[in-house]
Amino acid sequence: MSEPNALACARVRVLLESYVDGDLARDDAMRADQVRNHLAGCADCRRQHHQAASVPFRLKALTSPPPSESLTADVMQAIAPSRASDRRAWTLLAPEAILASFILWYLSGLDGLGSIADGIFGDLQGLAGWGSGAGPMPSVPPVDVLLLLALIALTAIAAYHLSILVQMAPGAMPTRRRV
Amino acid sequence: MSDPTSNRSVRRYGWAILIGVLAVAGILLAVADISAGNRWPNPLAQAIVGPTTWARPAPDQAQTFRFDRSRVGDRLIFDFPIGGLGPISPYQALRAFLSNGAGLVLLALAALVVFPTRARNAVERLEARRGAEIALGAGIVMVLLTLASVTLLRFTLLFLAVVPLVLLVALVAGLFGIACISLAIGRLLHRRLKLPNVHPLVAALAGALVVFDLAVIPYAGVFTLAAVAMAGIGLAVVTRFGSAGSWSFVDLDW
Repeated sequence: MSEPNALACARVRVLLESYVDGDLARDDAMRADQVRNHLAGCADCRRQHHQAASVPFRLKALTSPPPSESLTADVMQAIAPSRASDRRAWTLLAPEAILASFILWYLSGLDGLGSIADGIFGDLQGLAGWGSGAGPMPSVPPVDVLLLLALIALTAIAAYHLSILVQMAPGAMPTRRRV
Repeated sequence: MSDPTSNRSVRRYGWAILIGVLAVAGILLAVADISAGNRWPNPLAQAIVGPTTWARPAPDQAQTFRFDRSRVGDRLIFDFPIGGLGPISPYQALRAFLSNGAGLVLLALAALVVFPTRARNAVERLEARRGAEIALGAGIVMVLLTLASVTLLRFTLLFLAVVPLVLLVALVAGLFGIACISLAIGRLLHRRLKLPNVHPLVAALAGALVVFDLAVIPYAGVFTLAAVAMAGIGLAVVTRFGSAGSWSFVDLDW
């Protein structure tokens, strides 16, 4: 029989957890030596020690505290987009609509947009012709600074708006907050 | 009392019946759209269903009609019984379904076949809470952003060549987004109508037919298609073409 002393074995098994954690060696070095000596001679206790030292066993031995009543609500609140960004996401449509209307009015409506499209493709053809040496370099049409400012403002606001919407999207990564 | 055997067979052929119904609905709506013509508020209707009639070619222009040798469409045009609306042209409606409808379905299925993982990521995020709302909002903003930046680039010479690239990216984003929306609609039909499990491309086919049917609703179709296309662009942008990682500027902030 591999059990030299039943009482000693029972005592060792009580001490085994603190021995594995290293608490016993720190608090009572002599008792830790006795346990080590016992383990050297007792196969059953050695098996218990082996099991106690294994990670799955130690994880199983851990107990988790019961979750609080408000855990789900707290998590959902933490991951939900804030009301401020939610409001900003839709109120930004107003300045965008104003700027887009102003630009449309300035360009004489859809006809103006159509002439811009025509101009783009005409100038692209001109550029290709200039590149191949078949024609002169096309010239940039004169433009009012007010129109350029309106276009830049619309581009900037729309890009900012898009960044807010992207952050609100499900599965979006939170941006790191500056401390 | 309903017969369980007939219920089972209806369930079994549910997808085939649904696709057939959607195809017939698309052709009937196209007939109505052609009759409505392209009067306001039905702009660009001809772009979707095509012209109702073609002028007869002069003998020297016969090559123009080399793809329509039978000319059946000319004989299958009927006057609308109520005044004020255009002719009824079922042949032209069928032609619209087999050209624009089939094109839409093929492009949607091709996008899903080529990018299955990306499509899944995008559809999952579209199906999440407020996913559709955010995609549509981002699409509207993207259209504004694209129009403003293209107009701005028009007044430069150096960056003018970028414009076709910007438009190409917008087109690809729109197609990818419409393909994902088609799959999402197919999945929604699967859940709501309790249809049997089927290959996802069949569900996407049904979804793409729904998109086509929405696009040929008289008067409202163009606006509906624009909304779907904008939501598609928005979905592609918000999900970075369905990539697993979302937009993040963390790497720029070290």
